[in-house]
Amino acid sequence: MTAENRNRKNPSGRLCACLCGAALLTALVHPGSGGEVRAASGGDGASSPDEKVVLRIANWEEYIDEGGWDEEEIIELDDRAGTSILGENSMVEDFEQWYLDTYGVEVEVEYSTFGTNEDLYNQMTLGNEFDLVCPSEYMFMKLIAEDRLQPLSEQFYDEDIEENYYVRGVSDYIRNIFDTNTINGQSWSTYAAGYMWGTTGIVYNPDEITKEEASRWALLADPQYRGQVTIKDNVRDSYFAALGILFEDELMDPDFIRSEDRLERIAELMNRTDDETVEKAEDILKEMKANAYSFESDSGKADMVTGKVLANYQWSGDAVYTLDQAEIDDYYLAYAVPEESTNVWFDGWVMLKDGIEGNAAKQQAAEAFMNFVSRPDNVVRNMYYIGYTSVIAGGDSDVIFAYADWCYGAEDDAGETIEYPTGAFFTGDAADPDYIITAEADQADRQLYAQYPPQEVLDRAVVMQYFDQENNQKINQMWVNVRCFDLTSLTASDWGVILAAAAVILIAGIWFMRRFWPRKMIRRKDQRKEHEKNIRG
Amino acid sequence: MRTIRFSRKQLCIPYALFLFCFVVLPLAVIVYYAFTDGSGHFTLANLISFFTNGNTIGTLCYSIVTAAAVTAVCLVIAYPTAYVLARSGLKRGPVLLMLFILPMWINFTLRITALKEILTVIEGNLSLHPFLNTVIAMTYDFLPFMILPLYTTLLELDESLLEAARDLGAGEAEVFLRVTLPLSMPGVVSGITMTFLPAMTNYVILDMMYNSTYIMGSLIGSYFNIYDWNNGSMISLILFGLICLVSWVTGRGGANDAENRGAIL
Repeated sequence: MTAENRNRKNPSGRLCACLCGAALLTALVHPGSGGEVRAASGGDGASSPDEKVVLRIANWEEYIDEGGWDEEEIIELDDRAGTSILGENSMVEDFEQWYLDTYGVEVEVEYSTFGTNEDLYNQMTLGNEFDLVCPSEYMFMKLIAEDRLQPLSEQFYDEDIEENYYVRGVSDYIRNIFDTNTINGQSWSTYAAGYMWGTTGIVYNPDEITKEEASRWALLADPQYRGQVTIKDNVRDSYFAALGILFEDELMDPDFIRSEDRLERIAELMNRTDDETVEKAEDILKEMKANAYSFESDSGKADMVTGKVLANYQWSGDAVYTLDQAEIDDYYLAYAVPEESTNVWFDGWVMLKDGIEGNAAKQQAAEAFMNFVSRPDNVVRNMYYIGYTSVIAGGDSDVIFAYADWCYGAEDDAGETIEYPTGAFFTGDAADPDYIITAEADQADRQLYAQYPPQEVLDRAVVMQYFDQENNQKINQMWVNVRCFDLTSLTASDWGVILAAAAVILIAGIWFMRRFWPRKMIRRKDQRKEHEKNIRG
Repeated sequence: MRTIRFSRKQLCIPYALFLFCFVVLPLAVIVYYAFTDGSGHFTLANLISFFTNGNTIGTLCYSIVTAAAVTAVCLVIAYPTAYVLARSGLKRGPVLLMLFILPMWINFTLRITALKEILTVIEGNLSLHPFLNTVIAMTYDFLPFMILPLYTTLLELDESLLEAARDLGAGEAEVFLRVTLPLSMPGVVSGITMTFLPAMTNYVILDMMYNSTYIMGSLIGSYFNIYDWNNGSMISLILFGLICLVSWVTGRGGANDAENRGAIL
């Protein structure tokens, strides 16, 4: 029998292909049931401590120090110990080495990245398994609500353990938010350790727009700056801004501002999802759409730096990046946080049940990783590399404040300077005299202001909660409505023009076809007539 | 040494596998999601909501208008170009043609980014004419797909038919309208198919040109972004049906000219 014949007559091959196909189909239809084969040491819970631990981490793109700094980039801090910081290896490599040195266990990190929270969620749904991920607060709230997270161990919050850098260093302001915000009765801190944080606000060109204008959400819908502002291309941020405009009068009322429970009241207003609010927000968003240069998710930074737009709705971390980039070209931009309210956001580490549950060695490694990136010198490396603000204030260590001072402290020969208090973040006492940075005067509206907001900003900074399924659907539908072409927006005269144009095209087409198109069925008589005519001619 | 021989069937296996894994299976998954709800029960609600929701219909109309405008502009530019390239006996015709195709070798996001800068210089503020910019960018991107099929059909046009028409007393205009144009229809049809359909869904260009109004592609994307795979799949399926319909209608017109159908290079 030749090879050809064998193959052709072999029914098991076909069967095999069918089975493969069916398996693939089930995997696609029921995400999570098939998925990847687990890593050798993971999942079964029986791994002994000597065995190599594999830790699968997913983080944002470019959101951790990747090392490879030049010698000149060494950061020489003015702290008590005179620390110098240089990122030679990547943070992940350093962690593997540190873990081996500290706990005598080999750990291998499988590091991958994602571009958006939704991207991460879809990856997880499609069966990619991770142990430790770093989504934004609304996404880890969603994951908590769906019971997909592994709680942090009690040991993680034990301040007496030397290596617990997170709990020993995290800012009290942040710690309080993580303790008091709950979802389904469970606090964030049961599951999540913060990584980076910030506010939302507006990057603007101070030559064209005043600080007062930029400090109001209304700027984003101001017809005076038509085609000059960009808005975030995601429903949560845009909805927040729309509510800021909707409740402007209430939020700016002097009695409201003076009230004891101002922060709670702002939080209540900015998290409203009743039908009436959503409807009104939709109208405001439509106005914003008509007014904006674009909805953007990434291009806004470049458009701001190149001067295509004058103002840009931005997260504080990206605002710092934008300001830095513009500064290279001697173009000075500024950052403002609206007076009405701002959204305080976080990215935080959470452990996934799928990967960690029942595997103590893995959980220990994951928690050690969170602690390692919270070690003050590593915090500085990450902050230098990413440009965002870490949630770690340093605790006993003054390295992080020294780094802030290194970044923003004015040179001796600087012109006008200000005394900028950062105590609100570092100690919880806004006026703490040990945490005042003597900075150049313009830093009060620029990077320093974006990275370490003063107390008066924190007084209006609220968390945007995770919306439950029903409200989420409502708000997402509202967003689709805003973005779709609205047929009802066409006036009678628009319809007139459209119908007239269609009629003209139709008539022209018919005329053309009748006049010029070759007719296949020309009647015999006509044919003969034409023939005779031709002969005579 | 024994010669290894493959039967036709066996030669088809790689492609059949590819087709099955990446076309048939995903389509089956889309159909599954389109006709189920979040909990996996059969439902027609997704289908009904598409046709009862003013937004989706609005988006469909907007996409069709955008795609029609792009196709019309492409055709108006491409036909004379292809005609000159193919019929006027230019010595360097193929080289010129190559110049038109050359941009296709560069990634389109790069080209659109460059185009954006050029348009900013010309217009000042891109956001003031979002629709116009979209049409310009898409035309720029899809033009080669219109020129190529037209060029091929026009190149193969039988010269003797034109001579016959002239002999029978037709003027140049009439020769063109009565002979050249009808005979080049297969090229026109495949050109339209190749620009109209992508123009309905290519939302990357739309995003890059700061057009904030959704077309079909972006609408589907937005549903998948909010984890509503069911509605997203249904809209994909409806678009798929629409594309089949358009292909079928345009395909019928040229059915007699079987040899000219594969006018694409």
